[in-house]
Amino acid sequence: MRKYLVAFLALVLVLGTIGMSITVFFVTDTGGLGDKSFNDSAWAGVEMAAKKYDVTANVIQSYEQADYIPNLTAAAQVSDVVVAVGFMMQDALAKVAPQFPNTKFIFIDGVVKSPNVENFLFKEQQGAFLVGYLAAAMTKTGKVGYVGGIPIPPVLRYQYGYEAGVKTYNVLNGANVQVLSGYVGSFDDPAAGKSMTNSQFSEGADIVFAAAGLSGLGTIEAAKDAGKGHFAIGVDQDQDYLAPGYVLTSAMKRVNVAVFDGIKSVVEGTFKGGTITLTLKDNGIGMSPMTYTKQLVPKPIFHQLDVLKKAIIDGKLVVPGTKEAFQAFQVPQIQF
Amino acid sequence: MANGLKKFYMNDKIVVPVFAVITSLFIAAIVMIMIGKNPIVAYGALLFGAFGTKGALINNLMKATPLILTGLSVGLGFRAGLFNIGANGQLIIGALLSTYIGTKMIAYPFYLSIPIMLITGMVGGALWAAIAGWLKVARGAHEVITTIMLNYVAVFIANYVVNGPFQAPGGVPKSPEIAYSARFPNLITSGATWLSAGIFVALTAVVVVYILIEKTKMGYEVKAVGFNPYAAEYGGISIGRNTVMAMAISGALAGLAGTMQVMGLYYRYLGALGGSMGFDGITIALIGQNDPIGIAFAAFLISSIRAGSNQMQIAGVSKNIVIIIQGIIIFLVATNRLVKTFMFWKRKEVEEA
Repeated sequence: MRKYLVAFLALVLVLGTIGMSITVFFVTDTGGLGDKSFNDSAWAGVEMAAKKYDVTANVIQSYEQADYIPNLTAAAQVSDVVVAVGFMMQDALAKVAPQFPNTKFIFIDGVVKSPNVENFLFKEQQGAFLVGYLAAAMTKTGKVGYVGGIPIPPVLRYQYGYEAGVKTYNVLNGANVQVLSGYVGSFDDPAAGKSMTNSQFSEGADIVFAAAGLSGLGTIEAAKDAGKGHFAIGVDQDQDYLAPGYVLTSAMKRVNVAVFDGIKSVVEGTFKGGTITLTLKDNGIGMSPMTYTKQLVPKPIFHQLDVLKKAIIDGKLVVPGTKEAFQAFQVPQIQF
Repeated sequence: MANGLKKFYMNDKIVVPVFAVITSLFIAAIVMIMIGKNPIVAYGALLFGAFGTKGALINNLMKATPLILTGLSVGLGFRAGLFNIGANGQLIIGALLSTYIGTKMIAYPFYLSIPIMLITGMVGGALWAAIAGWLKVARGAHEVITTIMLNYVAVFIANYVVNGPFQAPGGVPKSPEIAYSARFPNLITSGATWLSAGIFVALTAVVVVYILIEKTKMGYEVKAVGFNPYAAEYGGISIGRNTVMAMAISGALAGLAGTMQVMGLYYRYLGALGGSMGFDGITIALIGQNDPIGIAFAAFLISSIRAGSNQMQIAGVSKNIVIIIQGIIIFLVATNRLVKTFMFWKRKEVEEA
């Protein structure tokens, strides 16, 4: 009897989720939906695909790291495409993906070498470089802050790109802007993000860049609480609207585009395993349009940012993404 | 009549949690109907995700293993009149120390390295908790405050260590792997999940704690201090010694929970390994009425709804529903007097009618 019941339940679930169309399951990391950055951006990509193609979109949120393997497994069992996001999921995905050769996986921020996994990496340092340069140009106190989530490679790329941007500003303009950097230790703790931002404010920073997922929302809140003259810099998505006038800009990483492209490749039958790196050049990385803060920035600085952007795209300026590369980084001669 | 009533009160350890669980499932069902979801499909998915397949059951038991131990940790503290909120920190320190020892165990056979790992984890947790016990005895600092503070200290120590001196190459905040001889054998494997022998350690701990509390002199003294410290002292029982002892045993159990994750699941210290298991222990101790066997069932209940919640999300119901269920259970158990009064009235009405 029990056996039939179980089989029946399984059937209900499977029939409920698998129709004729392609079923996509998005497995979030522990940050979950509602982080207004990384996970939300990936989900936006899934929804974009659902609107355009005959795709049913579903989501499983992970409660803790131990859920990654069970959630990926459960998702792979009932879907055609599994979207996994976050470097922290790399080990789990490497175990699960080879067991489901007929399921296609789209993985953001890490690399799993399996023919059914399409990996997307970003050159986060390029966007961080631009916001770092802007922060250095805009600071009134000569100090800017950086709040990271957990020091994993994508977040380190943000940090060193940002610091390289500040350094470039210093060299090209004969300034001496300093960077205060810290790590919260998690991607899902806005309170900790806020308290670290506040301590950077009290140490004299007036602009703080947060690359910390949900924790970074605390940085934006802190900037708003601190009032006029303080700014946060958002990450991953355009977060400027979260506190209009207090978010100077956002270093955008178009996770949604990557996820959408991945699903599109499955729909169109062009999916192939491997690694795709998105950069400033192909618009995978960028700065927010600065809807609320544009008027605060002097015109010449926008011009300088455009020149730098072009130098990065042309390969004249290689932005460091690791500690070693940053230490070896020499600011090239750039004429504005 | 009077006899029946007495029986009822004697059994309230069982009646209250069961009543709470059923009520909370019912309330959550109403919430689901309100948001336009079918509760039968959702609960079907919950059951399927918790018990439906071999993989689900394995996942469920793997989740239950550390929860049983943190539940025992907090529950034992409650019995001694101590509110140990620091199970998380003790778990982290236990896991961290046992991981460190585990990486040095390459040359040892399993029959030496496994016990060494277990003891290291327990000692780590015990020492960490004993700090709070000692502070209470020597300085009168309340354990709620000190254990919360020690949680932060433990988290930051762990973050520093796995991002720095004890980090595996590759950039993730995780330690190197422990030696093979220091790992639990896998009992059953299904896909990418497996059931480790850790579940037996947890169940053994249930029995040991039960005997300790109910059958030994030490358990009696600890309980006496928890019940009424001054009466206990008047009766010749040392408050200080028993407070530190109870904290240390409580911490040892939490440390063991962390060690289970290292030996059976991750095989290393992974950043944020602690999760919220220490705090879940409070929930579980409450639901289990601080009784070791009750705690084992409560831990299994929580792990089941957690494991099932993932499947529920596949059926389209948010994981937040599970948090609602858990919240209502805790509320009802914590206000058990309310529940009892309510049920007492019911009974009276029936009798009068």
